[in-house]
Amino acid sequence: MSDERTAVTTDEDEALAVTDQEPRQSDPRVGDGPGISVAGPAQGSRDGAQQETVVFEASGVNVHYGTNLALKGVDIPIYRREITALIGPSGCGKSTFLRCLNRTNDLIPGAAVSGDLTFHGEDMYAPDIDAVDLRRRVGMVFQKPNPFPKSIRENLAFGMKVNGLKANDDAIERVLRRAALWDEVKDKLGDDAYALSGGQQQRLCIARAIAVEPEVILMDEPCSALDPISTLAIEDLMRELREQYTIVIVTHNMQQAARVSDRTAFFTVEQPGDGSRYGILAEHDHTEKMFRAPEDQRTQDYITGRFG
Amino acid sequence: MATTAAPQSSAEARPLARKKFQPAEVAFEWALRLSIALALGALVWLFVSVLTEGASSLSWDFLTSKASSSAARAGFKNALYGSLVLMMITVAVAVPLGFAAATYLEKFAPMSKDELRVIAMRRQRALEHRRGHGLSGIRLLLARIGVAASRVWATIGPPINRIVEVNISNLAAVPSIIYGLLGLALFVSIMGVSKSLLAGGLTLAILVLPIIIIASREAIRAVPSSIEQGAMALGATKWQAVRSQVLPAALPGMLTGTILATSRAIGETAPLIVVGGAAYSTKVPSLNPLQAGDQPLLAMPLQIFDWVERPQETLWGPLAAAGILVLIGTLVVMNLIAIVLRNRFSRSW
Repeated sequence: MSDERTAVTTDEDEALAVTDQEPRQSDPRVGDGPGISVAGPAQGSRDGAQQETVVFEASGVNVHYGTNLALKGVDIPIYRREITALIGPSGCGKSTFLRCLNRTNDLIPGAAVSGDLTFHGEDMYAPDIDAVDLRRRVGMVFQKPNPFPKSIRENLAFGMKVNGLKANDDAIERVLRRAALWDEVKDKLGDDAYALSGGQQQRLCIARAIAVEPEVILMDEPCSALDPISTLAIEDLMRELREQYTIVIVTHNMQQAARVSDRTAFFTVEQPGDGSRYGILAEHDHTEKMFRAPEDQRTQDYITGRFG
Repeated sequence: MATTAAPQSSAEARPLARKKFQPAEVAFEWALRLSIALALGALVWLFVSVLTEGASSLSWDFLTSKASSSAARAGFKNALYGSLVLMMITVAVAVPLGFAAATYLEKFAPMSKDELRVIAMRRQRALEHRRGHGLSGIRLLLARIGVAASRVWATIGPPINRIVEVNISNLAAVPSIIYGLLGLALFVSIMGVSKSLLAGGLTLAILVLPIIIIASREAIRAVPSSIEQGAMALGATKWQAVRSQVLPAALPGMLTGTILATSRAIGETAPLIVVGGAAYSTKVPSLNPLQAGDQPLLAMPLQIFDWVERPQETLWGPLAAAGILVLIGTLVVMNLIAIVLRNRFSRSW
């Protein structure tokens, strides 16, 4: 696997020649050449055997909203302590699929999930599964930062208390350090969370998610409401969190998927011509493979900017 | 721009337009000013006439003297205490009921038949699963009752919720005297409460209940759903998310609505007369709301009504005017508190 990674950053590769719409930050981890650079071995190579553990296994997952089919026949494994990016055009169901993974779809009126979706081999949607406990183990960070309208400390303490964890000063500090937010907020833990900048709010939401000690963190376009500097901070954080957590991230930003993820899944829209329109999973693979030599023509078109 | 236009039609050639007198616009603007002047003018006239008549009677003595048949000695104390106790009872009854009803209607009621059916099916399957694992006896019976109840609710729940929803808005528009009749029938005739402050307070409570529910629902709805979802994504139950995050965020708005509703109740006269308000009593009501069951039903508007009705207008008129000033003052203070609450704690999401 690490062999494939090192082979990736050949800049001349046609498939990679995506024009950068925005000038990229001078980030040492990102290659200087044109096109999408895929996370290289600088991230640190990790034990290949360990990460092959499957956390989620989806097979034939469909999602309906009311009578509308939104997502059809998704088959994908999601591996432990990896970052899996879900990319694709608008309305392709990538966020819908993400929400299946912690059953937040249950909270949306009319949403119904069918097919097999397992978490560590157990059927997540079995009738006797407690979705509340599942959500504790599979945390989520939303598109728009949504801290609670309370102090920074209370934002972290809520989830901990709900889950029977001690929310003392040590625990708060530990969590904030892990979310790379401690230095910025250590003197104002009692301040309202909405006094923070958007990027800090989003890192607080990540801190809040890891405070309840989940195994998996789902991120639904966590940077789409943020400026490039804050985006960079969150991406840095994700790379650190990968050492301990399984991360699934939905992103509109292909460069972001290429920069941070180990594997990428490409969702697209299918319109069979009878007026229906639903999302499907077109292809999934190691990120460098997906961006260098995708097998599916639609993936190729999307990542080279021909549509989407 | 690429097309070559004739020079006279090109933008550069035409001089800038001069201001023109627009009679319709000016007339419209002044009509608006006139209407607000009329509306405020009526209020100002009322206030000034009450002030000129009542200012001389308004004193500390007026507030602390008991009711009396002599105009020279009569004071507002009985009425003031009565209104205070009425408000305590009204708030104590209407706030818990109103907040709970609003929370239910906004957060738990909006489920469709299908969703409720899915929940019932899920419970059924869970029951069968647990039966397979040796659930039996009283717990099995209870679980069976639970499943049956959620099945029944899946059928009758949504229509009931819809009826409730429609009627709460209707209830807010019912004339207050009808609530007086309801209070008389329900509390005095059926429940046997004496015609006292307690009966009056309970009547005012059901009078303001719909207003509190509507205002609280709006306050709850103003909290973005992302807050609730964020809490549930941390492993909180729906109830924990609503109680610990949604309701605290909505509380300032709910309190603002409550204060405004209460300030309506404080000026209500008709329902209290119907329930059996005492026109005159020399007994000063106890401020302990637990004793309200045997205190005479006295209130500021009732006292004012009584004074205004008396034949010797020159004697009692100034007292009534002073009473009106106290009532208006109370309302202004309550509304100010509501405004401060709203400005202080309102946030943009």
